Amino acid sequence: MPDGKSVESYVSKREPIEQGTSSDDGADLDANFKRWETETLAPALESAPERKEKFRTQALKWDVNRLYSPRDLEAIDFDFNRDVGFPGEFPYTRGTDPNGYRSRLWTMAQVTGFGTGEDWATRADYMLEQGLDGLIIEYDLPTTNGLDSDHPLAAGEVGRAGVAIDSLEDMERALSFDFSKLKHLTSVCNGPQPVNLAMIIAATEKKGIDPASFTLQMPNAILIEYTCVGRYIYPPEHGLRVATDVIEYTIRNQPHWVPIAVVSAQLYAARANPVQELAFGFSIAMEYLDSVLERGLTIDEVAPYFSFITGVDMDFFEAIGKLRAYRKVWARLLTERYGAKSEASLRLKLMSSPGTMSMTLQQPLNNISRLSMQMLSCVLGGGAQTMTSPLHDEAHALPSEEAIAVGAAIQNIVAHESGTADTIDPLAGSYYVESMTRRIEDAVMAEIEKIDAMGGALEAIKTGYFQRELAREQFDRNKEIEDGSRKLVGVNHLAKDDEERQIELFALDPGSEQRQIERLEALRKRRDNTKVDAALGRVRAAAESDENLMPSVLEAVKVLATQGEICDVLREAFGVYTPDSLTSGV
Amino acid sequence: MSSSSPSNRPRTIRVLLAKLGLDAHTIGVTVIAKSLRDAGMEVVYSGLKQTPEMVVATAIQEDVDVVGISSLSAAHMNHLPRVIELLKAEGVGDKLIIAGGVIPKEDGETLKAQGVAEVFTMGTETATIVRYIEDWWATR
Repeated sequence: MPDGKSVESYVSKREPIEQGTSSDDGADLDANFKRWETETLAPALESAPERKEKFRTQALKWDVNRLYSPRDLEAIDFDFNRDVGFPGEFPYTRGTDPNGYRSRLWTMAQVTGFGTGEDWATRADYMLEQGLDGLIIEYDLPTTNGLDSDHPLAAGEVGRAGVAIDSLEDMERALSFDFSKLKHLTSVCNGPQPVNLAMIIAATEKKGIDPASFTLQMPNAILIEYTCVGRYIYPPEHGLRVATDVIEYTIRNQPHWVPIAVVSAQLYAARANPVQELAFGFSIAMEYLDSVLERGLTIDEVAPYFSFITGVDMDFFEAIGKLRAYRKVWARLLTERYGAKSEASLRLKLMSSPGTMSMTLQQPLNNISRLSMQMLSCVLGGGAQTMTSPLHDEAHALPSEEAIAVGAAIQNIVAHESGTADTIDPLAGSYYVESMTRRIEDAVMAEIEKIDAMGGALEAIKTGYFQRELAREQFDRNKEIEDGSRKLVGVNHLAKDDEERQIELFALDPGSEQRQIERLEALRKRRDNTKVDAALGRVRAAAESDENLMPSVLEAVKVLATQGEICDVLREAFGVYTPDSLTSGV
Repeated sequence: MSSSSPSNRPRTIRVLLAKLGLDAHTIGVTVIAKSLRDAGMEVVYSGLKQTPEMVVATAIQEDVDVVGISSLSAAHMNHLPRVIELLKAEGVGDKLIIAGGVIPKEDGETLKAQGVAEVFTMGTETATIVRYIEDWWATR
C-alpha cells in the first residue's frame, strides 16, 4: 500500500460545532415541535393511525423518522462547507461539474448487444439516431468467458446475451456504425479485456477512426466477477494482474480512454445494499489502484483513469444519498489514503443507471414508471457524467426497438421537461437528504475499515466474505417479497393471475449462431496459421514473465488469432478459477 | 453414540443444485439453496460452468435424491435434455429432476415430456418448491 494510505482521521479535522447565535430559536423549535406533536399530530393519529408499525428504508432497513428538522442536522454536526460545499470542489457532494447540468447535460447512453458484428452495428446506428450519444456494447457469454463460438460450452449462447466476437474481423464489423455521432463507448468484457481492448485498437486503426474522437470505457472489472457475476477465467491474483496490464497499457498508450470501471452496479444487481455497494466497490478499486501504483506511476497519474458504474434502486432517498456519498467518499479516500492532489483524481467519474434489478417481469409497462423515478433520482443525486436507462422489457427478452426509443425518451423528458437539471444539487440542505448522505458516508467508511482489517478486497473475495454477505441480502430480499413486507406492484401487490403479455418482444434470428461458427471455421483455414502460432507463443512468454500482456496480445489479434485461442494460452499459464462452497456464496 | 436406531429416523433428502453451461445467474439458486437447507434438506451445489456429464457425475457421487437445475440463460434446451438422457443411461433415472429459472412455457412442456418432473418459473415461492420436494419424497 502507498504511504499516503495511512489513515488521517476525517473526524478530527472537523471544526467544533458552532453554537447557534440565538439559543432562543432552538428553544422555539423544540417547543414548537412538542406543540405540533400534541396539538396537531396526536388528534390526527387518533383518527388515522399509521399505515405501518415501522417505516424503514428499502435496502438498508434504516428507520425513517416521521419528520426531519434542523435537530437532525445538529445530530450529525452538519457543516455546510465541510459536508456539502460547492460543485466541482472537494468534497464534491454537489457534483463534480462546477456548473452541474446547466452547461452540459449528461451523456445519454444505452446498453445493447446481440447477434453478429453486423447486427450490432445496425442496432448501434438505430440507437444513435434516437438521440443517444453513448453506447454500451455487451458481448455474449462465450465472448465474456474467453471462449470461441464453437466451444462446446458455447452451444445455445452465441449472440444471445450480447454480440459474438471471435476475431478482429468480428470487431471490425461491430464497429462499422457511424462514429461521428458517438461520444462514449463502454465495452463490457471483463475476463478477456486485454483481447477486447486489442481488438478495438486494431479495428479503429484499420478503419482510420481517431481514438481521441470518443471515450472508450472498459469495465475491466474482474474482481467484481469473482464476487457476484461469475464470468471469471483465471484465479483472482492473475485476474488482477491482467486487469493491471490493461490499465497500465492504456494510461501509457491510449490516454483518451478509460481502462477501468468498477461496476458497483453489478454488486447492486446482486442485491448489495448501498453501503455494501460502495464499500465493496471502493475496496476493489483500491486493489486496482495499489496494483497499478506498483508499476511506477504516481497516484495523480493513475486515479483520473478510474471510473465507476452504479445502479440505483427504487428507494428515492437512499438512491440520492448513495450518489452524493459516492462522490464524497471517493474524494476522501483519494486524499486521506493516497495523498492525491489533482482535481482530476478527486472528481469521481461515474456512470449511473436506473436499476435493471427493479424491472419486473409482470406488467412490464409499469417499468416505464419505475425507470422515470429512478432517472429522476439519478439527476437529483447529481448523478453522473453518463447515464443509461435499462428498458421496460428487460426482464422478458433483449430490448425491442420500441423499448430503446422509450428509454431514450425517459432521459430526455427528465432532462428537458422536469426542470430538475436546471439548478445544481437542488436537495442540498434537506434535513432528510443530508442525514441520509452522511449516514451512508459514515457507514461506508466503517465497512471499508472492516474490509481493510480482513486484508483488503482480494482477501475478502478469497475468503468468500463479499459473496456470503450478498447471499444473505438476496435471501432476505426474496423473503420480504414472499411475505409481503416489501410490496412490488404487479408481483405481490395488484398482481393479476394469468397475465397476458402486453408488449412486443424482440425476436433473435435463430440462424445467427450457425453462421458465426461457419465464419470462424473459415477464418481458421484462411489466415496464416504459422504467424498465429508464433504470436500465441509470444503471448505465452509475456504471461509467464512480468511483461505487460498488451503488446503481444495486440500482435496476436492483428494476425487473426481468435479470442478463445489467446485466452487458452492465458489459461495454460495462469490456471482456471473454481470457487469452493465458501467462495461461491451458495 | 446415538441411542436411537438410525432406521427410525427419516433420512435427510439430498439435493444437488446445478448450473449448466455459461449461465452465471446465481441469485435464484442461492435463495433456493438456503430455503431447502432451512427446510432440513442437504444441499450440494455444483458451481458454475458445468457440463451435463459433470452434473450427472456429481449426482451419482453425492448420491442425491433430487437434481435441481437452475437456468437463466438461453441454453437450457442445449443442456437439460442431455442431463436426463445421461441419468437414464447411468440407471439412476429414478431421481427427481426439477428445473427453475427463465424457461419459456413451450420449452417447459418439452422438458416435462422428456422427464423433468416440474419447471418452476420466476416468481415461484420458495415454499412451493420445498413442499413439492417433500410431497414427492413422502409418496415415492
